[in-house]
Amino acid sequence: MIEVEGFQKRYGDLVAVDDVSFTAAPGEIFGLLGPNGAGKSTTISCIAGLLTPSAGRIRLMGHDVTTEGPRSRESLGVVPQDLALYEDLSAWENLDYWGSAYGLRGAHLRNRVAEVLDRIGLADRAKEAVKKFSGGMKRRLNFGCALVHEPKTLLLDEPTVGVDPQSRVRLLDLVRAETEKGTCVLYTTHYMEEAENLCDRLAIIDHGKIIASGTLEELRAILGERDLVRLSGKFDTGRIGEALAPLDGVELVQADELTLTIASRQASTKLSALFEALSSIGSEINETTLTRPNLETLFIKLTGKELRE
Amino acid sequence: MRFIWQTALKDLRRHRSEPFGFIIWLGIPLVIGTLMVLASGGRGGVRPHAELLVVDGDNTLLSGALVSALSQDNFGGGIIQAEEVSIEEGLDRINDGDGSALLIIPPGFTSAILQEEPTTLNLIKNPAQRILPGIIEESVSIFVDLTWYVQRLFGDELRDIAEGPSEGGGTFEDLFVADLSVRINRMMSRVGDYLFPPIIKLDAGPAPDESTLDVEADSEDKVSVNFGTLFVPGLLIMSILFMCQSMSEDLWKERDGQTLRRVTATPRWAGSFLLGKILAAAILMFMVTLVALTLGFVYFRFHIETFPLAIIWTTFSGAVFVSGLMVIQLFVSSARAGNIVTMIIIFPLMMVGGSFFPFEAMPEGMAAIGRLTPNGWALEQMKAILFDRVEPASLARSFGALLIVGTGLFFLATSRLRRAAS
Repeated sequence: MIEVEGFQKRYGDLVAVDDVSFTAAPGEIFGLLGPNGAGKSTTISCIAGLLTPSAGRIRLMGHDVTTEGPRSRESLGVVPQDLALYEDLSAWENLDYWGSAYGLRGAHLRNRVAEVLDRIGLADRAKEAVKKFSGGMKRRLNFGCALVHEPKTLLLDEPTVGVDPQSRVRLLDLVRAETEKGTCVLYTTHYMEEAENLCDRLAIIDHGKIIASGTLEELRAILGERDLVRLSGKFDTGRIGEALAPLDGVELVQADELTLTIASRQASTKLSALFEALSSIGSEINETTLTRPNLETLFIKLTGKELRE
Repeated sequence: MRFIWQTALKDLRRHRSEPFGFIIWLGIPLVIGTLMVLASGGRGGVRPHAELLVVDGDNTLLSGALVSALSQDNFGGGIIQAEEVSIEEGLDRINDGDGSALLIIPPGFTSAILQEEPTTLNLIKNPAQRILPGIIEESVSIFVDLTWYVQRLFGDELRDIAEGPSEGGGTFEDLFVADLSVRINRMMSRVGDYLFPPIIKLDAGPAPDESTLDVEADSEDKVSVNFGTLFVPGLLIMSILFMCQSMSEDLWKERDGQTLRRVTATPRWAGSFLLGKILAAAILMFMVTLVALTLGFVYFRFHIETFPLAIIWTTFSGAVFVSGLMVIQLFVSSARAGNIVTMIIIFPLMMVGGSFFPFEAMPEGMAAIGRLTPNGWALEQMKAILFDRVEPASLARSFGALLIVGTGLFFLATSRLRRAAS
């Protein structure tokens, strides 16, 4: 279990993460979504004990990461965003080393290494140097290194970045298999569809603060099942409110001189009325995108920008 | 403890897959050493000669014997070449740096010996040279000792000979010669057991930096004087410094490869990871030292019985060096900065600290500074061990100093490791 209460991380006057709280239960995949610089990596670094929180409390399986650092990390597996492997060593040697770092030894260690190699599909390449592996194989091994000691909590920091579709599916299956065994998983990703398919609960973080959290259904409810219409062109931002006021059920999400974002139920049926209203105030529309409600649209609604921006 | 060993094993496996680094660590010093030895004549090349300028102010049989004895092949190992000069020429040449030493035999030298009166031989050494004047000084002191013993044993006989044949005769009388022979023979019989053996034989000692010579019985197995013996210990330290630099840079590979971050996310103490890396470095330095000393044994006849202590010393001091360089790597902001800073430190240290040029070839002031550098100090200790000049108490103090410094550096590095990882 991961418990984060009122967590804050400061670098001098800069507050990187402020008052973040969430709980991830055993057997649950908790997703942490946010753009670059939102505070995800800082949060994960503090949970992993790499950084010390400025305020608040973080506990892993009941052990405080600040006051019981080594004890809290015994049950923790970390899959970093970048590959953390010894490329000169074989897959077996990598797993053997990381297993020993968690106190495994002898026959138990050998058995665990063999099991993990089998699970990540590298048993037949066990003795080969990692530098000869493909990107997907390295990603799987990177994941395997965090599993060898059978952790009760797993931190996965965008583990599928740059992974081919086949390896990605295999990695996600491995994550699900871990939660079925009761492992608590904290998962960060840029891929919204990945988070939608994988995570049981989610928190959206931006500028160091959690702006929304809950199950996927709860988050969709925030959006109210409304579509998002994104328009690009030239807009008079001072008169847009006046133009949209007569349109029923249309909400302005974001507006600037070049882009406009509007939320509405069944937006496709209101497009002609929308174009007419905008034309009446002299707007020029060059491009229109209509998006069905999903995490991406929720993120845009909450932050006014796309997740990958 | 097991994680320390696992970390060391992991690093050794990584280095095994990159043997090129190992070849460089040994190769560069070996190439430099080979060039230096070849340039200085090598083992089979031209031997160095000590040019002794002699002013024979006495000009007698005994003073002439002193000059010829000093330049004999089996006295001083054939190193000394004596040349008789006038006092003016001798002083001029030694002031110009020409010649290793100037020996002035005063007038009345023989008479003083025979009459058991005090006399002084003046030896002026060339300050620009260190080893060769020392060899001459030792040789002359041996001759003085020898003369004293001869004088004590055969003083009466020598005085009789010096007085010459009886008045009016051109030669010694038969009775005188027979009596003298019998006296000498009896004395030789009395002291023979003390003189033979040992045969007094001079050989160049294995401590070139102090320019000492050994006088001992049957010293066939002594390390011969060769510039190679001066260079090998320094080149070994050079090799160790290269290794330390490379091993310390490995922290940046761990950091850039994210493995350092992963290690600090484990429950292990960061210090055990560092200890493992230092242990791996020590094992590699052990192997390099063994190879270098074996070459010294084969090529320069180093004493094999000194190897265990020399290897322990080199490995231990190397472990402290690598800890120091690791501290630097953990304080700088990038791998490139780490490389530049450590290179800026170790190259001057190697130059001044006796690795490129032995202290014996340096001006005294520079050599004194060099001996104060960490590597110069370690080099001096290693030479003392290799050439049988080490004092146990001094060595114990040196090990203690290394332990204290090494422990401080290790804890400093450990305190920086987690910050470096994040």
